[in-house]
Amino acid sequence: MKNIQNLFKMKVMVLAILLIYSCNKDDPDAVNQQEFISNVVLVIDSSDGSKQTIDWDISEQNNQTINLKAIRDYNVEISFLNTSDPSDVDNITLEVIQEADEHQVFYDFAEVSVNVNSATNDTKDTGRGVLIKSVWNASSSGTGIVRVYLIHQPTDFSATTREGMGGFNDVAIDIPITITD
Amino acid sequence: MNRPLIQIFFLFLSWFNLIYGQTCNLSIDGKISDLHDGSPIIGALIKIEGTNFFSQTFFDGTYQIEGLCPGKYQLIIQHPECTPVKKKINLQASHVNNFYLEHHINELEEIILSDKRISKLRKSVQEVSLNISEINKYGSNTLVEALTYISGASVLKTGNGIAKPAIHGMYGSRVGIVTDDFRQHDQEWGPDHAPNIDFNSFETIQLIKGAAALKYGGDIPGGLIILSSSRKELKDSLFGNSNLILESNGKGGKITSMLERTYSNGFFFSGQFTAKQFGDFHAPNYLLSNTGLKEADFSIKFGKDKIVNGWKFNYSSYNIETAILTGAHIGNVEDLYYSLNSNKPRVIEDFTYNVNAPKQVGRHQKISFNYFNLFESQTKFEWGYNFQVNDRKEFDVRRGGRTEIPAIDLQLKTHNLIGSFSGINFKNWNFELGINGLIQDNFSDPSTGIKRLIPDYLKYEAGLYVLGNFQMSNSFLWEWGLRVDKIIIDAKKYYDLSVWKERNYHELFSAFEMQKIGNQILTNPKLNYLNFSAQTGVSLKIRDRFKLNASYILSQRAPNASELFSDGLHHSIAAIEYGSLSLKKEISNKLLFSFSKEEGSLIWSFEPFISKTFDYIYIEPTKLKQTIRGAFPVWEYNSTDVFLTGVDLNSSFYINSQLKFDLGISYIYAQDLLNKKPLILMPPLKTFQRFRFTPKKGRWDFEIVNHLNARQNRFPNSNFQFNIIEDSQLISKTVDISTPPPGFQRLDVYFSINLKNRNKLKSQIRIIAQNLTNSEYRDYLNRMRFYSADLARNLQVQLNFKY
Repeated sequence: MKNIQNLFKMKVMVLAILLIYSCNKDDPDAVNQQEFISNVVLVIDSSDGSKQTIDWDISEQNNQTINLKAIRDYNVEISFLNTSDPSDVDNITLEVIQEADEHQVFYDFAEVSVNVNSATNDTKDTGRGVLIKSVWNASSSGTGIVRVYLIHQPTDFSATTREGMGGFNDVAIDIPITITD
Repeated sequence: MNRPLIQIFFLFLSWFNLIYGQTCNLSIDGKISDLHDGSPIIGALIKIEGTNFFSQTFFDGTYQIEGLCPGKYQLIIQHPECTPVKKKINLQASHVNNFYLEHHINELEEIILSDKRISKLRKSVQEVSLNISEINKYGSNTLVEALTYISGASVLKTGNGIAKPAIHGMYGSRVGIVTDDFRQHDQEWGPDHAPNIDFNSFETIQLIKGAAALKYGGDIPGGLIILSSSRKELKDSLFGNSNLILESNGKGGKITSMLERTYSNGFFFSGQFTAKQFGDFHAPNYLLSNTGLKEADFSIKFGKDKIVNGWKFNYSSYNIETAILTGAHIGNVEDLYYSLNSNKPRVIEDFTYNVNAPKQVGRHQKISFNYFNLFESQTKFEWGYNFQVNDRKEFDVRRGGRTEIPAIDLQLKTHNLIGSFSGINFKNWNFELGINGLIQDNFSDPSTGIKRLIPDYLKYEAGLYVLGNFQMSNSFLWEWGLRVDKIIIDAKKYYDLSVWKERNYHELFSAFEMQKIGNQILTNPKLNYLNFSAQTGVSLKIRDRFKLNASYILSQRAPNASELFSDGLHHSIAAIEYGSLSLKKEISNKLLFSFSKEEGSLIWSFEPFISKTFDYIYIEPTKLKQTIRGAFPVWEYNSTDVFLTGVDLNSSFYINSQLKFDLGISYIYAQDLLNKKPLILMPPLKTFQRFRFTPKKGRWDFEIVNHLNARQNRFPNSNFQFNIIEDSQLISKTVDISTPPPGFQRLDVYFSINLKNRNKLKSQIRIIAQNLTNSEYRDYLNRMRFYSADLARNLQVQLNFKY
């Protein structure tokens, strides 16, 4: 008898639990990806007034080529955007500027030789240029790629190689580059 | 406690009876049986306290006491191997009183031995039981260290603080953990997720290789670990124990304490807590920055255990915060390449107790209620309800002050109901019948601002099992079990439209589509599985000392949430992981044998197994994907057929009465049959040798253990090519994540002193050195091997009090 009572108790509990969950869960909210970077934009101003904009988009991964002339200064400004919601574009560059003390933009060139310096109006952290705004000067003609990095928490800001710099990559993309005489 | 008082009281009572002499011709008679199997207990003593009346049971367990006067008596039933039982009776007429005695609980003297203390779950499968107080001996990371002494079990680690058990080369969802009769439900799928359990709140651990314990599920081809509290003794007592452990590596320690009160009427309550803190650990040549941990747990239990019926209530809370090596936080494949090619972590800072991002924060709460009733027929009815809430947060180093916001934030709620009838006996047959119902609700908090790795889902499970055995004689037993489970998963998940189309889901699973939102699609995957599992085996005793067990096990496992839905970046290995909706249930067939023999001073067991699994779910790298963070290998869940075989050997040899030698060896061979390559992450050939010296006189013992792990030479090649810029040249490099590290040897030394006992207080001091030679090694089964060496020498002092 007691047995049956216990079984009954159990049934009641099962039903109670089923009741709680009988209705479906609410639909989950879509995640608003705040830190996400979808686009890296390079605006390259030549000293002769010509202008080139390279927009590297995550979904298209377009291979636009940077065209430079050797022994000429170019003012290059980099920006990081989140355009996943086209009606509300996030400018992530502002976060990088705000946290200049733990970020470093780094350009690594393969097969070509380009000199990169911090621009006078670059974002600075205790004298070090973050290279948001930089001046490029190619020494000779050639074709190659530039690997564009945004490094978070590098261990050595002044290193000349990516390996030496430490930290980890927030951005690492390859853009083809052509340098003519 | 106040036994003399009671005695005086009853003496007075009997004297009182004598004075007012009544007709003293009443009798008490009955039968005394073993609580577990109902067999008669011979030679038990039944006394009436405070009088000279007593009786001893005959061969059939019966007794009789005659010539009693009416009145109130206290009966005491004693047997050398049993816990004494007391019962008050008010005798007005002759009375039949049947009693059930529980065989006395023997202290376990060794860490590995066949089970004497708790009823074996399945008799045709070899089981290993460990006693928690013995496990404590091996340090603060108790279960992990203890498992290295069981052949066939191994430990999968992510650094030092995160470790999960592996049995026969399987882990995660393929290994079940049962605590106080219920399966543990946490986010067990992740290789870097440790079980959220404080092992100190239990008294014994049983390890069963293979899914033989169908009572707890048929979906665990690896095996089962069962943690349980001991049966309470029916006597008035208050006891407890405390453990303090201090360790040099990590400059931390652990304190754990337990107090239990039992009453002769069966009521008991106990409380227990554990607190742990460690700072950064160190490898032989450098500090492992950000590897500290903090843990605080407590549990309470109370109930009434009256042998023939009882109930208990448990609550436990587990809270842990574990730091993950800073050097293991990497951005992309390039970072991984540099880490692999550096002989030390990329970030080494000063020692600290701080736990910084990357880190994991886990919290597990459990509440359970169990009831049992034992009928005259020896049939036991049990039911129980359990509710578990698991909160898991993983923090990454993030931009814009978001490091404080978790990158993964999951809450898993599980309701579990069990019911069973066991000990249904017909002649030589014995049956058990049970049901299991489960409802699980997973919530993935979107406020992380990062795409969900695991979606929201509801999971329903209903299971039914029948177990039986046929015991012809003491030397032959045949047993079998059948189980059926229905599993329904009802998930709500956002997919990137591009991924949904790329994987052809828009055609295969168009029924799951709900609505498109921007570049995402909300889907409602509803998945159904019907799983059958079975076990059958025999246990044979040949000429007393030789024992043979043979068992066949069929297990079926539905894919878990990670295997189905994973969608995102897994930082510690720089991998993008994709689950697959197309996965089918995994079907595993396993044959397990065990031969064991006790002969004089030599005890050995030899346990081979062989298994074939169809649709075995595994993850493998398929391609390199370009993201804004650089290139990442894409790891996709897939299924194949696999063949696994292995052998475990354990032996003990008493060289003389003071010196004992133990040897354990295990080997596993694992092959992916469809792709004709070895399986990843299989433990290599392992062995331990242990000498234990216990002097006849003196209060100390000494133990020296040597662990030898060979190099795993059978591994799949998951390497990939990647271009890096070196000296202004684009150079193709191999990112070698496959090659296992060399084998290693580790030497541990244990020295224990039993202090003089005063009253009931027993205390012990232990001094331990782990990795005595400070050897630098990397363990293939430790994910952090990509970034750093394993732990350096660790000195420990342990204080152990029992009261």
